Amino acid sequence: MDANLLSSYIFAVIVLNVLLGLMAYMTYFERKIMAAMQDRVGPNRTGPLGLLQPIADGVKLLSKEDIIPKHADRRIFLLAPLFSFVLSPVAAAVIPFGDSIEVFGHEVNLYVADINVAALYFLAIGSMAVFGIILGGYASANRYSLLGGLRSAAQVISYEIILGLSLIGVFILSGSLSLVEIVSQQNETLALGPLQLPNWFILSQPLAFVIFLIAAVAETNRAPFDLPEAETELIGGFHTEYSGFRFSFFFLAEYISMIVISLFAATIFLGGTDGPILDGVWWLGLKACIFLFFYIWLRTTVPRFRYDQLMGLAWKVLLPLVLINILLTGLIRLWGLGML
Amino acid sequence: MAAEVLVFNLLSGIAIVAAGAMIMMRNPVHSAIALVITFVNVAAIFVMLRAEFLAAVQIIVYTGAILVLFLFVLMLVNPDDLPEFHGARPLQQVFGFGLGIVLLAEIAAAILTRTVVAEPGPWTEEGMAQAGGNIQAIGQVLYSGYVLPVQATALILLMATIGALFLGRPDEDEEPSPSRRTVATISLAHTRGSDEPEIAALRAANVKHEAGDRDIIMARDADEFTSTPAEEEMKERSE
Repeated sequence: MDANLLSSYIFAVIVLNVLLGLMAYMTYFERKIMAAMQDRVGPNRTGPLGLLQPIADGVKLLSKEDIIPKHADRRIFLLAPLFSFVLSPVAAAVIPFGDSIEVFGHEVNLYVADINVAALYFLAIGSMAVFGIILGGYASANRYSLLGGLRSAAQVISYEIILGLSLIGVFILSGSLSLVEIVSQQNETLALGPLQLPNWFILSQPLAFVIFLIAAVAETNRAPFDLPEAETELIGGFHTEYSGFRFSFFFLAEYISMIVISLFAATIFLGGTDGPILDGVWWLGLKACIFLFFYIWLRTTVPRFRYDQLMGLAWKVLLPLVLINILLTGLIRLWGLGML
Repeated sequence: MAAEVLVFNLLSGIAIVAAGAMIMMRNPVHSAIALVITFVNVAAIFVMLRAEFLAAVQIIVYTGAILVLFLFVLMLVNPDDLPEFHGARPLQQVFGFGLGIVLLAEIAAAILTRTVVAEPGPWTEEGMAQAGGNIQAIGQVLYSGYVLPVQATALILLMATIGALFLGRPDEDEEPSPSRRTVATISLAHTRGSDEPEIAALRAANVKHEAGDRDIIMARDADEFTSTPAEEEMKERSE
């Protein structure tokens, strides 16, 4: 086997395990931060400062009884959580974690794959991941789950369009769909007279950034767009009937896709691994943490949307805005190239 | 090379089996899942042909959007309510068979003209590299030689959207007639009967809603829930 391929595989295994570990502690930090915001203490019983809580939770979920409802569509019911769980970390394969490093005399690239349609690949995986939720909702043979699945279908289709279109401005400016290329372009400096700024796309595409952020929250089914699992009305929605480790698959998938979409946002809009002093990986991690904190902050601050507000926001507000953004970016790009 | 052939055979085999399963399955949701498997395998074959853009579009458009909408509709409909599947009429069968043959012939012609008879088209690997990659190549072809069909397709899709909006528009009556409207009232704020004196006082004083355009509606006890046609309610109150 060729050495490059082998190092890609090894790197993929490392990324997968790091994501799973991060995910566990993401739940811990979410609970701690939420507790702080709500003037509570948060988990503090298991281990020092409650640090062993995620492990205890994991053991608890794995050892619980796996219940399959009598009238459930058995095969789909068993398949649906796997669908979610397998697809969410797969999207991380195209994210560049830094420049290549030297290991045992081999040049090892810090990404699993650099494909020329990396950004589209990311969107494609995201659009597939919703099947887990829809099928889970359908197979449970439960009205609430079915409603959760239906909501998810409508929500994800609407917000996927917004998510994809908000990236087009970046593609127009960078002229590439490859994340490695997009990051390397953001490493350059943007000189505005005496002002030296990093050429991050958040500066040239601020509107697209805001829209992407909103769509990303909706895409991962997080508050305030968590209508597919709205506890107060749907009793958990698509995962009402799931228990034990099948439930934990949905749970894992949600948190991993949060982490992955944060990494993606940091890569596209915040210059990815670009930054002084520290290594690229740390910068990428720090920037992703900003987004993750934002997710939690939103959850504690903003009440859940009503369903028609959610759809209205996507189609009547965000879609026109994002189309205007594409038009303006295109015109400016043509003008910059001297073709207008 | 041998590995590539093996992988291709595996992918196309799964795609064909899944396509067959899509037709044979009794449950429409199972059919939809079989179709997902077909689409994903076809996308993988596109990747093997170094048409990554096509693969991504295949997944985003077909799997991520169209099939999700399919499932959306299928989940809304109880499978028992679906009409019985029945064979087509003889004329339809002949026509369908003929169209199938034409489609197969087209595909065969496209393959044969490129491989057996003539030299390969302009988009070999070198041609693509010259255009700067397969996204750039597709973009150039779509927006130069095929610009008219692209625009025509866009127009047709726009017409379809407007058509759907037209069909799904709400009824034209500005306000539904009182006979079709219902008034629902529920009160959870008081214990049974505790507020009857106040209500009686309000009724006696003929107090109106803040806007002054309608009566205040009040339920007389906590368990009372009314859903009466508005016509009767209005008649009752006007008496």
